Amino acid sequence: MRQVSRRQFLTTATGLAGILASGVPPAWGQSREISYLCWNNFAPLMDKKQLEIAQRFTKDTGIKIRIDGISHMGPQQAKYASEVQTQAGHDLVEMRMHFPWLYEPQLVDVSDVVAELEKKYGKALSSAYEGAYVHGVWRGVPQYHGMFVATYREDLFKKAGLKVPDTWEDLYTVGKELKKMGNPVGIPISQNYDSISTAGPVLWSFGGLEVDKDGKTVRINSPATVQTIEWYKKMFRDCMEPEVLSWSDASNNESIQQGKAGWIHNPVSAYIVAKQRKLVTADGINHHRSLAGPHGRHETDVPRQIGIWKFSKNVEPAKEWIRYLLGKREVYDEWIMSGDAFNLPAYEKLQDHPVLKTDPKYAALRGEGVQYHTYGWPAPPSDKVQLITNSYILPNMIAKAVTGTSTKDAIVWAETEMKKILAG
Amino acid sequence: MAVRADEIPVPRGRPRLSGRVRGWLDRESILGPVFVTPALLLLLLLVAYPFVMAVYFSLSNAFIGRPSQFIGIKNFVRLWESDAFRQTFQNAFVFTGIAVAFKVVMGIALALLLNQQLWFKRMIRGAVLLPWVIPTALSTLGWWWMFNSLYSVVNWTGIALGVMDPPGPNWLGQRYYAMAAVITVNVWRGLPFFAITILAALVAIPKELYEAAEADGAGANARFWHITLPLLKPVLAVVVLFSTIFTFSDFNIVYVLTRGGPINSTHLFATLSRVVGIDTGRIGEGAAISLYLFPLLVFVVWAQLRFVRKQAY
Repeated sequence: MRQVSRRQFLTTATGLAGILASGVPPAWGQSREISYLCWNNFAPLMDKKQLEIAQRFTKDTGIKIRIDGISHMGPQQAKYASEVQTQAGHDLVEMRMHFPWLYEPQLVDVSDVVAELEKKYGKALSSAYEGAYVHGVWRGVPQYHGMFVATYREDLFKKAGLKVPDTWEDLYTVGKELKKMGNPVGIPISQNYDSISTAGPVLWSFGGLEVDKDGKTVRINSPATVQTIEWYKKMFRDCMEPEVLSWSDASNNESIQQGKAGWIHNPVSAYIVAKQRKLVTADGINHHRSLAGPHGRHETDVPRQIGIWKFSKNVEPAKEWIRYLLGKREVYDEWIMSGDAFNLPAYEKLQDHPVLKTDPKYAALRGEGVQYHTYGWPAPPSDKVQLITNSYILPNMIAKAVTGTSTKDAIVWAETEMKKILAG
Repeated sequence: MAVRADEIPVPRGRPRLSGRVRGWLDRESILGPVFVTPALLLLLLLVAYPFVMAVYFSLSNAFIGRPSQFIGIKNFVRLWESDAFRQTFQNAFVFTGIAVAFKVVMGIALALLLNQQLWFKRMIRGAVLLPWVIPTALSTLGWWWMFNSLYSVVNWTGIALGVMDPPGPNWLGQRYYAMAAVITVNVWRGLPFFAITILAALVAIPKELYEAAEADGAGANARFWHITLPLLKPVLAVVVLFSTIFTFSDFNIVYVLTRGGPINSTHLFATLSRVVGIDTGRIGEGAAISLYLFPLLVFVVWAQLRFVRKQAY
């Protein structure tokens, strides 16, 4: 064994006493490693690119980063809940929609990082504010969003001389023709998120809402809801097939890719996958803006944010990663480009992003005059409003109406359910 | 006086520690608890603790990551106000009742068949177990594809055989069809458990009983009703008991096939509990949903085990 001199022993003992007294570990002992829990991106190349960027980040800053992927539909929320309950897990988490509201007390204030990004890229989009700006504090840094545009079979439209619709009423007109051609409209009316992502915009466009912006008053029983249901009823009868009652989030994509549906309401994933898999339908698919109603053009998009858990011991290195990924324009661009327009920047000045010029079929994604909202708008996304959303009351109300329940009874049912949830 | 060596008293000092431990372990009253303790600790940690936590959550207004308060049985009372919960309650009984009934009848039939002298007996018995061995979520995905509105092979076959009119039933989109679909998959998955357990009981029935009955002129039906079924009763009671509990608490099949839809018509306690407890963070209410039937199931277990004990002694 190596001999320890008296001087060495005294130096070490004094240092150790100092560390114990101050409670601060020495610099070389402090963790410079962060962990990040992400969803498995629908655009997998973005995950690959992010890993590449993470390696460069480690090289440039000396901070090691571990990125774990998780499926976003089911396991993600269960994993977040367990991390919060045990107060242990990753430093950073990728969030979507209203998650920052749900986990508000557990998330670090990241307003400083968002302020830097807004200074550089302009204001964050409306849906980013709705989802992550919680009681005047940013609980997540807006990173990108995916839009619910209209995906349609341009080749079939041209063949039949159909006009690209601009309003939900126009869609009914062309939808009737499409169904006659054997290529019905594909809007799910089932217990999935795509159903809500269409029912919300239709309701908003007709001037309706579920719960008022006070988050307490149920507003579903209105003439606008009657109009929405009547529109759905005639669409279901004349433009769609009953299969939409059983659809999952993937079904409308599959339907247009396999050559059945003539029009769906979905992010551009249907086209991207068709293109990647070289499906025969890919060439005929194109997009147009989501549709308008008497009260304007509203869209549900899917805002994504990065949050930092309060129990993280590495808040500053975690912020450094966000600044590196989103704050450096060249890095942010490179990452967005890898997603092939599936995920677009969440800041105003970046809306005309170069990725939209990589394929003429992305032209429709340049949104002007569109209002982006999270589920349940204009009510703040509280846990009760989320329970209304996750209980699928809106699509269930429509499903009841299109399968025989009277419009009035369906609305009263939805109103009663919403009131019970808000009162609970 | 001469003293023999074996008569010299040995000094009786304290025995060595290892010797003392060995001595203790030779006593059954000590060895038994030593062997049982690790299992007991595991049970406490993995079963009792989560259960107690779930009970605590169900009696509180717990929300993910926020301080909670005790609110008594308010969650349980309030659940009845929810249309989705009342529908779930009804679904759970319909689903469990029909599925277990099918599994009992088909399980006995399959066990009787497997008890015959079959060619490739071992291979067939092994194959029967397959649905039970494959991970549920994976096999249910296969069923999802078979019931899918766009690719349904069930409908394709039905139409090809002329028993269905095109386009065939919308299996997962209409409430009764959707319930039929989830029950079908549950029966398919649970049948091997019944068949193999009943087969084990069948094999144990003494052949002499059948020979004597046959000599007395009893036919196949009489032999089944008067020998086979009475002797299967204790095993059937245990199998039905387990299956009832598993079927009530099923999650994967409904979650993969319908996610509780259409219009909540296939939600079970576990799937609704997940939506409320995890997706919206209302842990208290979610725990109350999952524990709602606990008192009833405890009673069922007690009654069934009492029945089994009566049958056995």
